[in-house]
Amino acid sequence: MQFDRRQLLGGLAATPLAGLIPGSAFAQKAGINYWHHFTSTTEFKGLERVMALFKAKFPDIAVTQENIPNPEYMSKMTAAVVANARPDTCMVVAERAGDLVAMGGLTDVTARIKAWSRFGEYPAQAWQGSTVGGKIYGIPAFTFVNWMYYRKDWFAEKGIAPPKTFAEFLEASIKVTDPSKNRFGFSLRGGAGGQSWVVDLIEAWGSPIVVDGKMAIDKKKATEAVAFYAELLTKHKVVPTSAPNDGYRQIMEAFKTGQTAMVMHHTGSLTEIQAALKPEQFGTLPIPAGPAARIARVTYLFNGISNPAKLDAAMRWIEFWAEPEPAIAFLEETGYFPSSPKVAQDERITKNPIYGAAVETTTFGRLPPMFVGYAGWSETVVLPEFQKVLVGRQTAEQAVDAMMKGLEAALR
Amino acid sequence: MAVVDHAGRVRPTPRRSWLGAIADLSETRYWAYWLLVPALVLILAVVLYPTVWGIGLSFREMRLNRLDLGTGFVGLKHYRALVEDPIFWLSLQNTVIWTVTACVGELLLGLAVALLLNREQRGFRVAAVLILLPWFLPNVVAGHMWALMLDPRLGVVNDLLVKVGILSTYKAWFADPNWAMAAALLVEIWHGFPFFALLLLAGLKAIPQDLYEAAAIDGAGPLTRFRYVTLPQLKTIIVASVVLRVISLVNSPDILLILTGGGPGRSTMVLSLYAFLKVNKEFNFGYGSALAVVLFVLLMVFSYLYVRLANVMKD
Repeated sequence: MQFDRRQLLGGLAATPLAGLIPGSAFAQKAGINYWHHFTSTTEFKGLERVMALFKAKFPDIAVTQENIPNPEYMSKMTAAVVANARPDTCMVVAERAGDLVAMGGLTDVTARIKAWSRFGEYPAQAWQGSTVGGKIYGIPAFTFVNWMYYRKDWFAEKGIAPPKTFAEFLEASIKVTDPSKNRFGFSLRGGAGGQSWVVDLIEAWGSPIVVDGKMAIDKKKATEAVAFYAELLTKHKVVPTSAPNDGYRQIMEAFKTGQTAMVMHHTGSLTEIQAALKPEQFGTLPIPAGPAARIARVTYLFNGISNPAKLDAAMRWIEFWAEPEPAIAFLEETGYFPSSPKVAQDERITKNPIYGAAVETTTFGRLPPMFVGYAGWSETVVLPEFQKVLVGRQTAEQAVDAMMKGLEAALR
Repeated sequence: MAVVDHAGRVRPTPRRSWLGAIADLSETRYWAYWLLVPALVLILAVVLYPTVWGIGLSFREMRLNRLDLGTGFVGLKHYRALVEDPIFWLSLQNTVIWTVTACVGELLLGLAVALLLNREQRGFRVAAVLILLPWFLPNVVAGHMWALMLDPRLGVVNDLLVKVGILSTYKAWFADPNWAMAAALLVEIWHGFPFFALLLLAGLKAIPQDLYEAAAIDGAGPLTRFRYVTLPQLKTIIVASVVLRVISLVNSPDILLILTGGGPGRSTMVLSLYAFLKVNKEFNFGYGSALAVVLFVLLMVFSYLYVRLANVMKD
């Protein structure tokens, strides 16, 4: 069979129209896309398993996942909102919810979620992370619980008890630091992502951040907190000198390769640590208590709907993450806590001592600050101002002054 | 309109096809302008409109996470804030240091490499391709690669420097504000010099051999030939490539974003990175646009003065 050029061009032009023919294969499957910022192999394996389970249960809904690196996630979401090219569904961490809702990046699904059969299974706190202005914008998919890893073998070697307060933490850091062995007490995250720990310490020293939408930092307490944290490098020298530029990768490598004795992160990094160290080499601890409070974040990472064009299919997908089967599959691959307390009663969690610190933290842990502008303020003001203290270019007091000024500007 | 046929009957004018109308139009003096219309529309849509819109944004309130503030006209508010913003001035200073050092370093290294590769030696063609490799690497890849090479724990650079006795212990290059900019510049110069090498090599190949022969007859040595033949012949290429490279260096913060994020303590913050952070972290499009407009104006002024200065020297 031969075609002339006119027939060929006509055929090509008609091809897209074929999708509009009722009953054709194009029309049968609802396709939705899902933006996320998973990075590790284990996370991808977990995602693949959840997607496979979803496909088996909902064969008519095709999910396409798209990975956006976490540092660029908000840039990409911003661009998508501005260009009106939002994804159907997307992953959201609680501290970004305010900004995303404010820019119109998330769809209010309050009515749908309240009518959902599993709504009552969650504690009120679980919904706070996805609630902005009284409206719910997503369903918790899994939970990150902040905790601390420590070198059990080094602590035993030095006869040190695991620290419960930051005073004990400092004492342990000093004892375990041995420059001749290139050993340091703690992996301080002074680079990308380190800002949240500074904010946590400020709260642990008794200073609020924002009250009733107004800047509420207590200068004296915040200064003490910043000074304590920075002096780990500048005075006590119990952290690697690279601390002012160390991000996630650097602090984890330092701990895994035997350069540091303690590192603070969340339950999400457990599989990585387990792959690098033997069970007798490391343990987990709740974050130490400050002089005024014990601050550890329990972050519900939720899935929301950005573009409501395919609302039904999108709801099926974000609801599915809370089902026991995918939640346990995801836990098995990643070690991430299920968001539903009912699913979290699984004996693979409750009977595993390594999760003890996380289970304990869920009893006092709190959500990260969630005011609009928090992400920008913490990243572009708190972090660089703290770095300046770390590198000796300003005092803790000057840093707190700049943080207070920056916060007032962000809230104005 | 009507026409009269040879028998004297009046007939209506036959309808002309659109091709015929175009053919008629092509005979007029306006045809050239019509041919420019598609290109003009494209330029207006993808160049002029976004630029004008971006400039307009700098005079409006536009905080994507504070839509309650509205998006109204705020006049010079962002520009006034910018003048009083110490981070702006620090970033401006860093931008000048970053751009001038990187551009001069890349130009000198590129020129040296181009002169070397201009010799007809065995294996130089392969070397020419190899030397271009850094330029082929995307900034993101180059940035991550060097971040690893300069890493204070695993980096090969520290390892080598310790082994040859230059350093006593591994150094955290990007954690020290006195070294962070220098280390980032090293990466940028490594990444960018092939751009100059490639263009200058093309320029060197185009210089007529007669000029060198004539200079040699006049008793000019290698340095004199370089000064009075090579450099003047390369001048146009140098001017053009410097303008292009400066624009690229000023506008692209990606290497710094990956290596230092502007830190530690904003010691490597440049204007383009500051604008990026304002827009993408604080969602303050108005202020970010004001920063971008300042960059735009600075680049226009630089390009104008630089090209003009180059022409004056030529005259």
